[in-house]
Amino acid sequence: MPPVLDMRDISKSFGGTLALSRFSLVLEPGRIHALVGENGAGKSTLIKTMTGIYQPDSGEILVDGQPVTFPGTAAAQRAGIAAIYQEPMVFPDLSVAENIFISHQNRPRLINWSKLNDEAAAMIARLGVSLDPIRAAAELTLAEQQTVEIARAISLNARILIMDEPSASLSDHEVKRLFGIARSLRDQGVAVLYISHRLEEIFALADTVTVMRDGKHISTKPVAEVTQASMIAEMVGRDMAGRFAREPSKNTGVTLLKVSNLAKTGTFRDVSFTVNKGEIVCFSGLVGARRTDVGLALFGVAPADAGTVEIAGQPVTITSPNQAQSLGIAYVSEDRRKLGLALTEGISANITLPMLGKYAGAFGWLDRMRELADAQAFRQQLNIRAANLTVPVGTLSGGNQQKVMLAKWLNTRPRLLIVDEPTRGIDVGAKAEVHQILRTLAAEGVAIIIISSDLPEVLSLADRILVMREGRIVGEFAGDTATDESVMRLAVAAPDTVTGVA
Amino acid sequence: MTALRSWEGLLFAVLILIYAVNAWNSPVFLTVGNQINMFQLSVEKIIVALVMTFVIINGEIDLSIASVMGLAACAFGWMVQQGAPAGGAVAIALAIGFLCGAFNALFIVGFGIPSLVVTLATMIAFRGFARVLVEDRGISDFPDWFDALGQKGLIGPVPLAMVLFAVFAVLAYLILQRTAFGRKVYFIGANRAVAEFSGLEVRAVKARIFIASGVISALAGLLFAARVGAVRGDIANGFELDVITMVLLGGVSIFGGTGTMSGTILAILIVLALRNGMALENITGHIQTGVLGILLILSVMVPIIRETGTRLIARVR
Repeated sequence: MPPVLDMRDISKSFGGTLALSRFSLVLEPGRIHALVGENGAGKSTLIKTMTGIYQPDSGEILVDGQPVTFPGTAAAQRAGIAAIYQEPMVFPDLSVAENIFISHQNRPRLINWSKLNDEAAAMIARLGVSLDPIRAAAELTLAEQQTVEIARAISLNARILIMDEPSASLSDHEVKRLFGIARSLRDQGVAVLYISHRLEEIFALADTVTVMRDGKHISTKPVAEVTQASMIAEMVGRDMAGRFAREPSKNTGVTLLKVSNLAKTGTFRDVSFTVNKGEIVCFSGLVGARRTDVGLALFGVAPADAGTVEIAGQPVTITSPNQAQSLGIAYVSEDRRKLGLALTEGISANITLPMLGKYAGAFGWLDRMRELADAQAFRQQLNIRAANLTVPVGTLSGGNQQKVMLAKWLNTRPRLLIVDEPTRGIDVGAKAEVHQILRTLAAEGVAIIIISSDLPEVLSLADRILVMREGRIVGEFAGDTATDESVMRLAVAAPDTVTGVA
Repeated sequence: MTALRSWEGLLFAVLILIYAVNAWNSPVFLTVGNQINMFQLSVEKIIVALVMTFVIINGEIDLSIASVMGLAACAFGWMVQQGAPAGGAVAIALAIGFLCGAFNALFIVGFGIPSLVVTLATMIAFRGFARVLVEDRGISDFPDWFDALGQKGLIGPVPLAMVLFAVFAVLAYLILQRTAFGRKVYFIGANRAVAEFSGLEVRAVKARIFIASGVISALAGLLFAARVGAVRGDIANGFELDVITMVLLGGVSIFGGTGTMSGTILAILIVLALRNGMALENITGHIQTGVLGILLILSVMVPIIRETGTRLIARVR
């Protein structure tokens, strides 16, 4: 059979970052094609290119052998491409049937409800499952909502169905049901592109698997010809020259933070670890491993329900960012726009925000000269490139914004610095600078926790690496002996194959 | 920052233009008497506009201000009519303003209900109380000193309300642009999550602003009662829209986080001069209102047009 979708040499860049580099992918009808890659390998960009959200910079897309362009999502939908995601997109107050037919624009103005419901039931039956078409979507489980989304896609004659991490929030039983749906679609001639971090699912479901890394196509093979180990090697394999050099540890051996059995219902549990003064501890794992939730609990944003935290030997219960700050904890968020910086405000105002009291005199009068002086010191120390210190931070490059965010929290003089994805989306030069800043802080005795999905970064910075998966710490490595593959294997492994710390 | 500065520059240019046109059209416009009259006719609204600037930059809205003005004025009138001393009645009326603001704050900050909804409800409720107190009859037997405060000059020909406006304008400017509190107001409005993450006491700041809005509105209501020498159940009805118009015209974003006190003050002067100029030309109040509406739409459109223009130019390059 000829391929239903043929993507040839697709490239897409954002600013200076090449997210897709001459990427090629062929999807055939009646096949389940798996796509794997690390966080940031370019999977999301690829999906957005396939569904018309992004337009490629170069390369061509062929549907049924005909070249096509997708100026928007509607065009991709007309070509028969649909995607479902980890979090289903349904209208909670509408019924199952209404949700399925919501995008059908050429239906008669007057709705024949019994006919609509019958058609919806038939559509769901095609998927090999049953669901009452008059139930409201809000009453459904996540898995059932996903079913509704798939039925909607099929009702629009989708011939290519992209499933992006569909199993991430499902129970084992629901995953089996999902697999059943995927297989019945395959048997009806639909081309399924299945994306998952759970490698064992790929062996259970897919016919073919493509590995991508750093926006490039690495390999496409029949599943029968690959092993978990070979896939992991291809996912992480990098030029050794691209690795950052390690430096000697600044670990003082004096415990600053001791976390025991920290837990938050439905999020993480049994989280126990220590961090010494001057030590850099990295949390590694895949997106959704709940590393950020542990950090947010320690910072009091979303406090834990159980477990104990000790700082410098003192038991503490942290319930607000304000309190965390007074204990000497600083948290540099991964989300600069939502939680890190007020983009319309100036550099110095952003830097001094958590410490306003320090600059306020009688009647709260701000000593703006002192603010500017402190901001200027950070500008030099961290090499923040900006026209002046009052320009809105939104006008700076990502790397400089990242440095402003670091300055903001360094200004609080923390004993414990938690940094979430310190170098995401910034260029290589700024990345090296941020790494150097973090090492200098460790040398000054600051205890540092880094949450990072960037393995080379983790391997070059960490004194110790803690690997999290599905809300638990599943293993620990010394920074100088860990390898890409050993960390990745632990991060992706199925729960029952893990033999490390549980 | 540059964009903001140029917005205020634009407002300033418009203000000069309006003054020039008015002065050219009417010899009366620039006289001291007319200038005082021009402020005097809207002085209550422009005082409230100062505090509304804090509310909107903070990312909230207070629709209940005019009803608080009405309630405070009517409560004052009712108490005086019942034989209470006017001085005590003033104090109690201000306390009522405090309670109205605290009530709004309780629901907005305490229960997390959007301020648009809460103050829409209290706008209706406070007005209802005012009408219950005074019903449809007017109350006008105030002590002479009270009426004099609203009608006679305090410093030369300048009455109390205008002096208060000048003092409040300076204070509001200093608090918003120069103190830690003002800085918090901006950051909370620009990005509440960032403010909370940075350890700011977001709820305390919002509560204080709504309480200040209540107290200042009550004061404005009393000044209004003193100026006209009477109260009625519908006193200050609909003022909230005029006040919000002035603040938005001043360049304060309805989404919060941006705008300045000087922008609001310039916009106040523009609205006053425009209305006064049209009145001198015998243009009716309804047409004046229409012109102000068009002005507001233009003021919202100008930044959008400018942004689109910049983007187009960037694309051509």
